[in-house]
Parts: sequence; C-alpha cells; structure tokens
Amino acid sequence: MKLELKRRGLAKAATSVIMLATASTALAQENVVTQWDQFSNAGITAAGPAMDELIKTCEASLKDVKILRTVVPSIGIRESYRLAVSADKTPDLGYTWPAASVLAGYARTGKVAPLDDYYKKYGWENVNAFYRGRNSYQGKLYAVPMEQDLMGVYYNKAMFTELGLAVPTTYAEFKDVVEKIKAAGRVPIAFGNRDRWPATNTLSLILGLTAGRAGEEKVFFGDEPWRNPKFKLAAETFQRWANDGYFPRGFNGIGYDEANALFLGGRAAMTITGTWVLQDMARGAKFDLGVFMLPPIAGDVPAGTMWGEGSQWQISAAAPQNVKDAAASYIDCLTSKDSRKVWVEKGYLVPIGTTPDELKSWETLPVVKDFYTEGLKTPDANFYDLHTTVPESVTQVLYPELQKLIGGETTPDDFLAAMQASWKAAIDKGERWVP
Amino acid sequence: MYSSRQAWLFVLPALLLYGAFVAVPILQVAAYSMFSWDNGSIKAFGGLSNYSRLVSDNVFWTALGHNAIWAVLTLCFPLLIGLILASILAERSPRLVKVMSAVYFLPRTIPLVVAGIIWGWIYNPVFGLLNYLLDMAGLGSWGGAWLAEPGSALISLNAAGAWTFYGFCILIYLSAIQSIDPSLYEAASLDGASWGQRFRFITVPLLKSTTLFLGLYSAIEAMRFFDLVWVTTQGGPGYDTEVLTTHIYKTFFLVGDFGYAAALSVVLLVIVLLVGGLSYRILRQP
Repeated sequence: MKLELKRRGLAKAATSVIMLATASTALAQENVVTQWDQFSNAGITAAGPAMDELIKTCEASLKDVKILRTVVPSIGIRESYRLAVSADKTPDLGYTWPAASVLAGYARTGKVAPLDDYYKKYGWENVNAFYRGRNSYQGKLYAVPMEQDLMGVYYNKAMFTELGLAVPTTYAEFKDVVEKIKAAGRVPIAFGNRDRWPATNTLSLILGLTAGRAGEEKVFFGDEPWRNPKFKLAAETFQRWANDGYFPRGFNGIGYDEANALFLGGRAAMTITGTWVLQDMARGAKFDLGVFMLPPIAGDVPAGTMWGEGSQWQISAAAPQNVKDAAASYIDCLTSKDSRKVWVEKGYLVPIGTTPDELKSWETLPVVKDFYTEGLKTPDANFYDLHTTVPESVTQVLYPELQKLIGGETTPDDFLAAMQASWKAAIDKGERWVP
Repeated sequence: MYSSRQAWLFVLPALLLYGAFVAVPILQVAAYSMFSWDNGSIKAFGGLSNYSRLVSDNVFWTALGHNAIWAVLTLCFPLLIGLILASILAERSPRLVKVMSAVYFLPRTIPLVVAGIIWGWIYNPVFGLLNYLLDMAGLGSWGGAWLAEPGSALISLNAAGAWTFYGFCILIYLSAIQSIDPSLYEAASLDGASWGQRFRFITVPLLKSTTLFLGLYSAIEAMRFFDLVWVTTQGGPGYDTEVLTTHIYKTFFLVGDFGYAAALSVVLLVIVLLVGGLSYRILRQP
C-alpha cells in the first residue's frame, strides 16, 4: 500500500514537472510588452475603442506578443513618462508626447532605443520626411509617429446660415465674419486659456500664417531671433484678437473643456483647435458641425496649417532585445493599412500616411474627412506646433508670457524679448532640437 | 522607572519610520540640488550653482512675494473672522455651539482639490455663481473674470483659501475662549462693560497664545500651499498667482530640471523651519 502511494506521488510530481516545463516554455515564447498610452474613451485623444480592438487584433496575428497596457491621461502622460524614465522604470513601449525637443532629450541621455533598423525592416514609408525629422536626433530615428494633429476652425453651420455668413477664404473675410458675429451679440471664437497650453496652439497657427514654415525654421533651427517682424506680427495679431473681443470675456479664466462646451452649446460661432478633440466635437455637437482652415494672415505666406505628430511610439533602450523586437512588430501591426482603417472608423483618428482616397472610402463622420482633407492639401506649407517643438524650459516661459500678452499685461515687444531670453538660455544649455 | 536604553527602544520604531520617510528623502533632495540634471538624468556635479541661480530667478522672487502676501491675508481675514465668530458663538447655548461648530468646520473637511474646483466654478467668468449673483443684485458691472485678472486673481484665490481655513480658527478659538474663567466676564458685566469692551479687554488679550499659534500655523501653511492654486490657475494669469510650490512643481515635473527644483525645495524647507523655529520660541515664552 505504502509503495503504491509512493508511486502515485512520484507520478504526480513528474506530471507537475512536465506541466511546469510546458508552461515555462510557453511563457518563454511569449514576449510581454508593457505599454503606456493615452487612448481613453472621452476628452483629448479619445480613440480608446480603436486601441482596444487593435490590441486584440495584433496579439492574435503576432502570436508571441502580449501587451500589458496602462492608460495614462493625455495631459499627464508627459510628466508620468519623465518620472518613469528618471526612476529607470521606462515602459517598454510608450505612446507619449511631445516628439522633437523632448524626445531628443531622452535620446541624448540614452533612455529610448534607436529604431533605424526597424525602419529598414518594416519600411514605414507612411512616415514622411517632416515627421521623420521631428522624431530624429543626431541622424538617428527614435520613435514612430502615428497620430497627426492639425489645427483648424470648427464652426457652427447653423449659426453661420442664420447670420448670413460664408466660410472665409481670405484673412480680410475672416475678420469681416468675426465683426458680423460680434454685431449679432454672439461670441465669435470660444477660447479658454486657464489651462495655459491652448493659447500656445493658437499662436502656433497664427505664427505659421504670418511667418510661414520657412520663417519659423529660420528661428527654430537657425540664428534668426524671436524679435523679428514676422513673429512680431503674430504676437500683435493675437493680442489684437483678444483686445477686439474675438474671445469670450475672461478667457484666461476659462478652461479648455469649458470653451469647447461653450461652442458645443451653441453660444459661440467658432472655436480654433485641433484634430485631437475631433472625437468629442463630433459626438457633442447638436448642430451641423463644419470646419475650415484659417487663411494666411501675411500676404506673402502660403496657405497651410499647424501640424504635428501629436504623439509617437517609442521603445525603451533598457528593454531586452526580444521585447524590443516584439514591440517593433506590434508597432508595425498598429500602423498597417488595416489598422489605420480601424483608427479612422473606431477612433476618428487619422494616422500618418492615410491617403485622401483611403479616407474617402472608409466609414467615418463627414467632419473627420473634411478636416483631414483640408489640412492635408498643403503638406509642403504646413508648419510647426510651438509647444512640442521648443524645449520644455522655453514652453514653461511661453505659457505664462502668452497669458500676459493676450491679457494685455505686456506688449508684443515684451513678449518677444522674454521668449528670446529663454530661447537663448535653452540653446546655451544644449536643449535645442534640430532635425 | 525605565532606563535610558529602554526609552530609546520605545522611540526606535518611530525614529526608523521618520528616518526612512522624512530624514532620508530630505537628505536626498539636498544631495540632488548639488547636481545639474538633463531630462531626469544626472549630468554633472554643480556644487552650489543651483542656489546661485535663485538670485536672478524673477519667478522665484515673485512667488516668494505671493507666499508672503498669502500669509498676511490669511492672518488678516480667517483669523479675525474666526475670533469674532467664536466670541459670538461662545455665549450661545451648548447645543447651538455644537451645531454651528460643525457647520463652520465643514469646509475644512473638503479636500483642497475639490474646494479648488468648486471655487473655480464660482469664479468662472462665463457661468460662475458670483457673477450671476452680482447680476441678480443689479451689480453686474462689479462682475469680472476673478481668476483671470492680474488685480483680482491672488485675492480671489486667498478668499477661497480663507473659506477652507476659518472654520478651523473658530474651533481653536472657541475651545480657548471656553477655558477663560467666566468670573472675569461676570465681573466686567457687573461693572457695566459692553460686549465690545469685554471682547477687547478680556477675550483678545487672553487669547494671545492661541492667536500666535494660529498665526504661525497659517504662515507655515501659506508657504506650503499648492492644491488650490494648481487646480484653479496653475499660477496664472502670467505669474500673478505663482507661489513657491507651483514654481517647484513646474521646474521638476514640466521642465525636468530636477537639480534646480531640489534647490528650490531646500530653500522652502529652510523658510518653513525658520518660521517653525520662531513659533516654537514665541510659544514657549510665558
């Protein structure tokens, strides 16, 4: 009896060992990739449903890749990621912002992996030279941009019709539209800058339409100072908009979401913001929502709009090689043509490389198609997003200085002098990013 | 009687916890302040260079000034309101005292982040309650963008801060008033002293140590204030509501300049320790 029990025990032990060995082999084959992204279901970057579906799709098609996902709100992911990096807890794969100067900082300190070999392996031809530049540092690529942010003017078609307004095609017409809205007792542009960053986007748009991409590059990558006539025109224009009642009263005390609510509630005719909030705009508008591009402000500048990558996929330099390979294959899956269709249809997010024909044939809201069709008409003239292009130390001067400028506390000259001082300090500290 | 060694053994657990969670982090921060950092990574040893930057940092001096203004305003309003209301309340029935104490203390129980959101709504220039009430009262022209105007932002925020603090002052003053010998008030009444005279010549002088405690406590709190400012204005418009803690937060989390943020934190710690030391000395005096 005792012998029988012993045999049974041995048999059980052997079975357990075999099962454990099998399980560990399976685990060894599965590459677990920790992912931080910002795709929630509401607010900024609300493409959560698309992300959920694509994780399932890519895990199924790649077999050996397992995604361990954490959603970090878009506004806070920049800080959370930096803390993780400084504590050597960088997630294997991060979908964070900004690229350009901040990504360059991670590359400079060896925290993110160079991806040139993966670019060669997978092609990723959808990422054009502009975006490749913004995701490079000293000639090497460090991230794969996916989402493309464009700035435009959302408008209430019903209110435009009621007031007898047409979509402006020149800056003079735009000013005329604003005056007519004001005369009708409505708020022309829903704008709130309590969160400090919205004004930076508005200035980015105005700057591109006064200085043009070439004019911006002379400052950002060359020796031209901020105190130049084109930049001054941009600062003057923004301040004039604020002084002339283009925005609601107390705009520096109104939140970004509150300004959007003001527009969506039908209390303002327009709002100037980007595609990152398309999901909320499309879902929230109870009226016919339209979009147009702001016409050039300076006479000698081509039509265009602010664009950037919004956020980009970057891989931790500290991740094991098999995890890096798995993460790269997963990025390839996320940015494939089939996946791009899911991003568009389920997330109202149009990834980089999506062609106008694809967009036309895929199922999404007209406003999504209109926005990207208009914005992508001018790829060679589209210009930079300030607060993802300049170093963080400059951004943190830009935010308060802009509040002061449009609040009427300082003059355009004061503003440009403050910017020039912080710009010079950043260059002296080696923080400037050049593609 | 316990021996000295046994006494140390009793204190040891608390000392270990204090060392691990207070002393060591403070030393770490002081050490970090000696280095220059690049995007969250140590770049080089810089000695006291981060501290020398303080001299030319206009935002630091602006923020320090705002902390001082905040402390003075807190001393002026919540303490004064607390003293007057506590004096009035002390003469009412015990039941009313209990109920009203709870009512006054309620704002103190609300997390400052929530209080910030509530006051952000009250001050909102588009749909805020304050402008609405002014409109209803026919004083619409007095309305404004309370947190967006340089002239009103800091004072408006301080009023919100006072709302969260005055209930605490009432409770402390009330307990102190209740410990005053009632015969003093009775004698004064017999001599024909009015309520105002009793308040001025009995209550106020006998509450000196309580007032000192509350004053220095609020001064220390004023240096550490963060939540309310961050939730409502993030230090804006411009730098009009910038305080030391928001400047440290931005330097650390947003700019990633860990060394300078650590130096600012050390300076803040020194200021708080100085104020704390001063309060200790004053409170020890008979």
